[in-house]
Amino acid sequence: MRVSLNWLKEYIDIPVSLDELANSLTMVGLEVESIERLGEKYKNFLIGQVLEVNAHPKADKLTICKVNVGKEICPIVCGAPNVRTGQFVAVGKEGAIIPRNQHDPEGKPFVLSRVKIRGIESQGMICSEYELDLGEDKEGILVLDPTSEVGIPLADYLGLNDTVLEIGITPNRPDAMSHLGIAREIGAILNRDFRIPVTNLKESKRSIGDFVSVLIKDFQNCPRYTGRLIFNIKIEPSPKWLQNRLTSVGIRPINNIVDVTNYVLMECGHPLHAFDYDKLTGQSIIIRSAEKNETFTTLDHKPRVLREDTLLICDSKFPIAIAGVMGGLNSEISQSTVNVFLESAYFDPQSIRRTSKHFGISTDASQRFERGADPNITEWAVNRASYLIQQIAGGEVLIGSIDVYPKKINTKEVELRIDKLNELLGINLTTESVSSYLNKIFIKPKDAKSTSDLNKSIIFEIPTFRPDVEREIDLIEEVARLYGYDNIETKARSNIQFPEDPPEKDFQNEIRQFFIGNGFFEVVSNSMQKIDNATISEEKIVKISNPISADMAILRTSLLPSILGVIQTNISHGSKNIRFFEIGKVYCKVNSDRYDGAINGFYEEDRIILAISGQALPIGWVEKPRFIDIYDLKGEVEALFRKIFLDNMKFIPYSNTNALSEMGLHIEIKGKYAGLVGKVSKDLLNKFDIDQDVYFAEMNIESLTKNFKVEQKFSPLSIYPSVMRDIAIIIDENISTDDVEKQIKECGSTYLRKVELFDVYVGEQIGPNNKSRTFALEFMAEDHTMKQKEVDQIMQKIMKDLEIKFNAIIRKQEMSD
Amino acid sequence: MLLKINDIKQKALIDINSVKDMAKLDVFRIKYLARKGLVADLFDDLKNIETTERPAIGKSLNELRNIIQTLFDEKKKFIEALTHQQKQILDLTLPGRPKWVGTQHPITRTLEEIKNIFFRMGFSEAFGPEIEDDYHNFEALNFPKDHPARDMQDTFFIDEKILLRTHTSPVQIRVMENHQPPVRIIAPGRVYRNEAVSARSYCLFHQVEGLYVDVGVTFSELKGTLVAFAKQFYGSEIKYRFRPSFFPFTEPSAEMDITCFICKGKGCRICKNTGWLEILGCGMVDPGVYKYVGYDPEKYTGYAFGMGIERITMLRYGIDDIRILFENDIRFLQQF
Repeated sequence: MRVSLNWLKEYIDIPVSLDELANSLTMVGLEVESIERLGEKYKNFLIGQVLEVNAHPKADKLTICKVNVGKEICPIVCGAPNVRTGQFVAVGKEGAIIPRNQHDPEGKPFVLSRVKIRGIESQGMICSEYELDLGEDKEGILVLDPTSEVGIPLADYLGLNDTVLEIGITPNRPDAMSHLGIAREIGAILNRDFRIPVTNLKESKRSIGDFVSVLIKDFQNCPRYTGRLIFNIKIEPSPKWLQNRLTSVGIRPINNIVDVTNYVLMECGHPLHAFDYDKLTGQSIIIRSAEKNETFTTLDHKPRVLREDTLLICDSKFPIAIAGVMGGLNSEISQSTVNVFLESAYFDPQSIRRTSKHFGISTDASQRFERGADPNITEWAVNRASYLIQQIAGGEVLIGSIDVYPKKINTKEVELRIDKLNELLGINLTTESVSSYLNKIFIKPKDAKSTSDLNKSIIFEIPTFRPDVEREIDLIEEVARLYGYDNIETKARSNIQFPEDPPEKDFQNEIRQFFIGNGFFEVVSNSMQKIDNATISEEKIVKISNPISADMAILRTSLLPSILGVIQTNISHGSKNIRFFEIGKVYCKVNSDRYDGAINGFYEEDRIILAISGQALPIGWVEKPRFIDIYDLKGEVEALFRKIFLDNMKFIPYSNTNALSEMGLHIEIKGKYAGLVGKVSKDLLNKFDIDQDVYFAEMNIESLTKNFKVEQKFSPLSIYPSVMRDIAIIIDENISTDDVEKQIKECGSTYLRKVELFDVYVGEQIGPNNKSRTFALEFMAEDHTMKQKEVDQIMQKIMKDLEIKFNAIIRKQEMSD
Repeated sequence: MLLKINDIKQKALIDINSVKDMAKLDVFRIKYLARKGLVADLFDDLKNIETTERPAIGKSLNELRNIIQTLFDEKKKFIEALTHQQKQILDLTLPGRPKWVGTQHPITRTLEEIKNIFFRMGFSEAFGPEIEDDYHNFEALNFPKDHPARDMQDTFFIDEKILLRTHTSPVQIRVMENHQPPVRIIAPGRVYRNEAVSARSYCLFHQVEGLYVDVGVTFSELKGTLVAFAKQFYGSEIKYRFRPSFFPFTEPSAEMDITCFICKGKGCRICKNTGWLEILGCGMVDPGVYKYVGYDPEKYTGYAFGMGIERITMLRYGIDDIRILFENDIRFLQQF
């Protein structure tokens, strides 16, 4: 909220510096977000009077003016065709920043300096409306009001000698949404009284009761309705002081009646509405809920279809306003308005909130009503406005006000235990000092005598302008903020509880650090994607009902599209060698099953994705460059499995292409699907405009971490040497290396320690559909040195086994060093 | 026999000259000195020689063997020296074989540092779902229906009751639903806000939530804990302040500011000329929240806090556009 310092000073003296004021407001919870000195822009601009206009000897279109700027008379060279003797003008002096340069196509500002124009010194500049950023007229200089005072700063002339504080008002503080409200807080901070302005109404002899009646049909949503009638006013623009006040807080002046209602709103925080009395049908005001599908056109010319929970202000036939939110076009104050009905009501916050949300209209009025206005200020507010209207627009204020308020909303009573307060805050205040803090903000003890220090519990009465204070804790907060959070000692308690469970291992981080160590960049990407990027069937996709854009309409179902987006960006920025990984969630809908870490009907899964593309090796002078292939990626995945001592895993090749990949492997861990290794399909790459191969592996983190070996048991190192053998076999190429390895291990007995594939050959010599594979086998016993003969026997068994199982041809079997 | 010896000697002298490397030297060794080499053959022939001549010829043979052995040894030394010299000729100023070097994303890096500080203070870690229900995200956190406080957090909805969590605070509720005090946790995670994407705000970000509920927890201790955190994270020389603020689920509520570490409190663009940087929101758990989770508000008190990882990361590294964090440009990632 914008708060004008000059305006504030009408209600309270502020004997401290601006910085001090801003700091103390911030420290009681009214955060001063910025300070704007309105006149700053027009520093070094003065009001001048043109005394003489003479021709420039060297230029036809220029004149040399003598301008009185108060302290001196300056020669100024001017190019405007409309400059005349006697005019009051805005003069920029040396150092002034001209807000917009007429000769610059973009109108950039520039700093004025003393210059010679065609040989004649010019000690300033007479400015146009455009140059001053006060309008768009570039044709000539701005001519000011002839009653202006020569020599005063332009800022003063424009009513800009003010400072505006931008204060962030939290939603619990409707009481602070006005200048009086802020003045009340300053009063509490500075221990000063603030002044409530006068409302000396002169009422006429005619009585309001003869001209209008009010009927509330919905007391729950409209507990109070107050109104006044003012006849024979004259619609005009507001006087300058009023316009300046409103402009300074960001409200556009409209006419004297509307401006007064806005002024009172910004003054005391209570929203008012002015109706053109003559546009009302009948003499009654009815407050009721809308009927289903009733329509109404609001002030902003928009027709609205109402809901049954919309509260309406109506005349005897038609709606004339959406209560507390926006008035209607049909009863708007216009140039021809003569008689005004002023409304000052109190509406239920929730009702206003619902309506404002439903129509998407948030006004100064609705913001205050939905946070909670003061039901007991309606009469003061309407009187204040009537008084100001009378001052400004003339008119006859009819005697009396309409005030329908069947059930008075009284001050609440809240009990505060001093011990509770001290215990919670960790301080030690006396009953008396607690009372005195609350007293500053008009929260008073029910029984004035109860504030002695012997009393450990006091009942306080909460004024109705503080709807947020309802409970003991709310009072504690009030005391805390006035006492000062900074005055509360900063200490750590000594008797904290120590956790008893062993700390959980951060597997995700272990995996993260592993890949970073292996030369991968970690990325963090958007989990919202476009629906085209979904990888599961439509009904399982988690869709956002109010997305920012179609590009972010669903939650991702795979990390692949996210990371392809990142790869695309990088390629377009010239980085073609990609080694990325991301740890993140994917989401889907499920049938009623309850999953850990997700709410009913949904499933969230932690995954890791690796994606590589481009060169396999960084550019160097030793190795020949080559492109990445699937074995590079598979190697990275296998390395992770070795790192986490994962056995019982299997790669299962699948040949059928799918939406994601055109070739690849399924990863199974303990017989369960755990992820995918593959080459990204051409279709998908095309979608992302990527024209280089990308390989990826996406795995379920849980299936990795579940099988993470937490505690490795040490196995003693054998003191006996190992025996190495190589075996080369020719078998059908469709038999997987995994299966062969497994078979070898199975009959290799406990002495077989390691099987490693180290050569693969396909060629005519070994026949079509065959593949030769060479494995290195390591044998070792823990209790003796193995003899060649012993190993030979095992090798015989292995070979025989492979012959039977796979129809293998043993090419050679060798001892190796 | 003696002729033979001389002949082999001459041959060896010639052969050794053509030996230039270890491989050839080995060929030389096998030809002359191996178990089945020429010298060994001559020793074998010795048994056919008359016994009277044997000593003299044997002596010559030994001499031959010694000569050839010397030839071999010297050549070996020579070649070794030569190879060593050649090694010295390697250009050691050439760069080594390059390796890929990875980096950790600044968001997870910041998060990890924050987590570690709180772990050392005895907090454990808790998690909750990103797809949340209205109850946990708002209602149980004391955000009444039709209350303007809900406007503080623009929400993405899945349907009327289900939404993308707007903060990590629902984890507080989930933890308290399942555990009796004392609870002392932090909850890191991703949160979503339906705000236009700009340099200052992104549609999602990450938070770390903290919660401590026990008998006798005070505001004073909240301050103590967070000041300890801030000093460990930002440096012990920082100044700080706690400002009253408003969150529906804490009361009293506060925001913690530290002196701007860019301008040292003098006022700059980053701190909007205030000299202060807001780093977190916090407060005492509102008794209204305890009612939802079945804690006795008369018996227990506690505090909660929450901070935005992106904001902290941006301040820390001087990043002025949040979007760059999610763009993942390698030229950006390389800097961390």
